[in-house]
Amino acid sequence: MTTHTAPRKTSPRRHTTQAPLIVRFVKSPKFARFLFPWAVLVFWLIGNKLIQDSWDFDSSVLATPREVWDFMWAEITNDTVAPDNVYRTFGISLRRLGVGFAIAMFLGTLIGLGMGLSKAINAFFHDWVMALLAMPALAWALFLSLIFGFDNRGPTIAVILAGIPFVIVNIREGVRSTPRELFDMSGAFNVPRAKTVRHVLLPSLFPFMFAAARYAFSIGWKGLVIAELFGGQDGAGWTMKFWYDAHRLHGVIGYSMFFVILALFIENVVLEPISRRVFKWRPALTGPDVVEEEFQHELDVASGAGTL
Amino acid sequence: MADIEIKNLHKEFGVGDDKVVALEDVNLQLGGHVFVSIVGPSGCGKSTLLNILSGIETPTSGVVNITQSGHEAAPGYVFQAARLLPWRTVMDNLLFVQKDKSDETRARCQHYLEMVQLGDKGSKFPGELSGGMQQRVGIARAFSIEPDVLFMDEPFSHLDAITARSLRTELHAMWADTKKTIIFVTHDVGEAVELSDRILVFAKGGRLEDDINIDLPFPRDPSDEKVAIAKASVLRKFEELDLVVS
Amino acid sequence: MGVSATIEVETSTPQRTTSEERAIRARRKDFAVRWIWRLLGYVVVLGLWEWASGTVLEENLLPGPSRVFETTFDLIDQGSIVESFRATLTRIGIAITISFFLGAILGILTQNAWLRGFFKDAITIGLTAPGLIWVLITAIVFGNRWYGPLIAIVLTTFALVSVNVAEGIGSLPKDTLDMARAFGVSLFNRNRHIVIPHLAPFLFTGLRFCFSIGWKVTVLTEIFSSSSGIGFEMRIAQTLFRQDELITWILLFFLFALFLEKVVLQFFENRFFRWRKDIATA
Repeated sequence: MTTHTAPRKTSPRRHTTQAPLIVRFVKSPKFARFLFPWAVLVFWLIGNKLIQDSWDFDSSVLATPREVWDFMWAEITNDTVAPDNVYRTFGISLRRLGVGFAIAMFLGTLIGLGMGLSKAINAFFHDWVMALLAMPALAWALFLSLIFGFDNRGPTIAVILAGIPFVIVNIREGVRSTPRELFDMSGAFNVPRAKTVRHVLLPSLFPFMFAAARYAFSIGWKGLVIAELFGGQDGAGWTMKFWYDAHRLHGVIGYSMFFVILALFIENVVLEPISRRVFKWRPALTGPDVVEEEFQHELDVASGAGTL
Repeated sequence: MADIEIKNLHKEFGVGDDKVVALEDVNLQLGGHVFVSIVGPSGCGKSTLLNILSGIETPTSGVVNITQSGHEAAPGYVFQAARLLPWRTVMDNLLFVQKDKSDETRARCQHYLEMVQLGDKGSKFPGELSGGMQQRVGIARAFSIEPDVLFMDEPFSHLDAITARSLRTELHAMWADTKKTIIFVTHDVGEAVELSDRILVFAKGGRLEDDINIDLPFPRDPSDEKVAIAKASVLRKFEELDLVVS
Repeated sequence: MGVSATIEVETSTPQRTTSEERAIRARRKDFAVRWIWRLLGYVVVLGLWEWASGTVLEENLLPGPSRVFETTFDLIDQGSIVESFRATLTRIGIAITISFFLGAILGILTQNAWLRGFFKDAITIGLTAPGLIWVLITAIVFGNRWYGPLIAIVLTTFALVSVNVAEGIGSLPKDTLDMARAFGVSLFNRNRHIVIPHLAPFLFTGLRFCFSIGWKVTVLTEIFSSSSGIGFEMRIAQTLFRQDELITWILLFFLFALFLEKVVLQFFENRFFRWRKDIATA
C-alpha cells in the first residue's frame, strides 16, 4: 500500500490567497455605499463649477454643499429667517397628516368593507376608486387651493382624497382574502360566532389594515406637501414655497432633505419594526398577495415611488 | 362514542350540465368503539360525507341520525391541512375550540399536547413548526374536546411516509386509550387496513360499493403476513369493482 | 342519556328544468345588479357634483360637470388644446425615453454587488423623494430652460425603472439558460428565446410605471418652469382665478392619461404577454 503525502511547505505570507484586509474592505459593497455620498459631493461641486462657467447662467442661483449644510444646521438650531422654524413647520404638517390619515382610514375602511362584502356596492364605487387611485395629488392641491384659499382644511382634505382610495383597495382585498378554511374549521368545532369574529376574522384583516395605513401615510405625506405648497400659509410644503419664491436654492434643497430624512426615518425606523413585530407569526407578509390587476398597478407605483 | 345512522343520503351540487352527484343513496349504520375507514378514488364523495356528518354541509335529501353517549355535542375534526390559526400559539389554538379557559381546561389541553409529544411547544406559533408537528397539533386539538366521534379527512396525506407512519401509531394508541368512534377518510388502502375495524368502499359518483370488516387483532404491524394478506384481498376487491386507487 | 343530533332533510329531488332555469336566472340577475349599481354610481357622483356646484359652493369655485363640458368646447375653439397636449406629450415622451434608458443601465449595473452598494442610497432617495422636490430644484437652477423639466421628470422616474429592470435580470432562469448552453444553443438564440422574453414583461412594467408617474410630474413641472403644455395652462388658469378652466384642463389630461394607461398599454400588454399568467387580465 502506498501512501501519498504532500510535501509540507511553510508558505511565506505573500502566497496567502486572501487579499489584505484593506483591499477586501474597499472591494466590499458596504464601502461602496459609504463612498456614494462623497461621490455626490464631488459631482455637485463639479456641476456647480460647470454651470458657473457656462455664460448664460446666473451663478447666484446655485447653492454649494456648504451653504446647504449651514442652512440645515441653522434650522436645526432654531436660527431661521423663515416665519417658522423647522420644528414648528413639520409639526403643523404632521398634525394635518394625522387628522387626514385618521379620516381616510375610517372612511376608507367602511367603504372597503362594503365593497368586499357586497357586489352591488363594489360595482357602485369601483370605477371611482380606480379614478381616484390614478388622480395626481397636484390636481387636488390646485383645486382645493382655489376653494379653501389659505385655510387649514385644504391640505387636510388633500391628504384624505389622496389616501382614501389606497385604504379602500387594501381593506377590500382583506375581506376577499378571509381564510375560508379557518372559518370552516371554526364551524366544525361549533365555536360561537363572537369568538370566531375575534380570533379569526379580525386577525386575518389586520395585515391589510396595516398595509392600508402604510399607503395612506406615504401617499398622504406627498399630497400634503403639494397642497401646502399651493394653498397654505404654514407647514412644510408652504415653507418650501417660501424658499423657492425667495430664490434660495439652499433653502429648497435643505428643506427637501429634511423631508426625505423624516420620511425615511418614519418608514424604516418606525413602521418597519412595528410591522415585523406585529407579524412575527408570518414574517414575509407586508400586504395583500393578489389584488385586482388595475388596482395593483397603482399600488405598485405608489409603493415604489414618490407619486404626486 | 356515538351511534350513527344514515338513511337514503343524497347530495348533489350544481344544476343542469354542471350537476355533480357527490353521494348517491347512501345507507349506513355504525357506532361504538370502532375505527371506520372510508376509502375510494378522488371524486367518490368521501370528504362530502364527512362534511355532512360533521355539519359543515347539508344533504340534498335523506336522514342522518347521530346519537352520542357523552356530553360533548361537537365532533372532533382533523383536516388534511392542519387549519391552525397562524396568529395564535399552539396552546391558544387548542383553547380556541374549548368551551372555557379554566385551569382544568388548560390542563386537559396540555395533557393532549403531551400525548402527541408536543408538550413543550405550547407557546410556539404554527409557523415555527414542521408540517408533521402542525398536524399533530390538529390531532391534539380534535382529541382535546373529548368528543364522542372524531372525523379525520386524509390527515396524513400531505406528510412524508416516515412522519405519517409514526403519526399512525400515535393515533392508534390514542384511539385505543379512549372510547371513541373514529371515521377516517383516506385514499390509501394500506393505511385503512392497518388502522381500521371496518372499511367502507366508495366508488366515483358517491355510491357505497362495499363494506369490509377487518378482523385482525391490534396493533397491526405492516410487515405482518396476515396484514399483508388482508391488504391484498382488499385491493383485489377494488380491482373487481374496477376502481382506481393509489 | 347522552346528546343526540339529527340532520333530516326530506325533500324530493327538484325537477331538472326549474333548477336549471333558476341558475340561469341567478346569473342574469348578478349581471344586471352589477351594471345597475355601476350606472347608479355614475349617476349619484355626477349628480351630486352637479348639484353641489351652485348650491354647496358657488359655481366659479366648484364648476359642475356641465360647466366642464362647456369649457372643453371653449378651449377647443380657442385652439389651445391640441398645442398644449402636443407639448406635454412630447415632453413626456422624451423624458420617459431618457429615464428608461438610464434606469435600464442602472438596473444592469446593480447586478454587480459593489455597484449595488454604491447606488443603493441613490435608488432609495429616487424612490422616496416626491417629484415636487426635483421640480422645485430644477426650476430654480435651470429656470425656464427646456432641459429643466426633463431632468426633474427623469429624476423622479429613473429609480422605479431601475428596480424593475434589476428584478428582471436578477430573476433570469439560470436553469433554463444552462440547459440551453448544454444543448449548444447559440448566444444569439439564447437571448432571443430565453433572455428577451423573460425580460420583456419587466421592461414593460417599468415603462408603465414610468409613464404613470411621468405624466403627473410633467404637468407639475410645467406649472413651475415652462411656457407651454398642460401645466402651463393650468398655472395661467390659476392666476386668473379661472377654476373652470383649471379643472377642465386637469380633467382632460387626466382622462387622456387614463385612456393611454388603461386602454392602449393594456392592449399591448394583452397582445404580447398572453402567455404570462401573472399579467393575465380578466
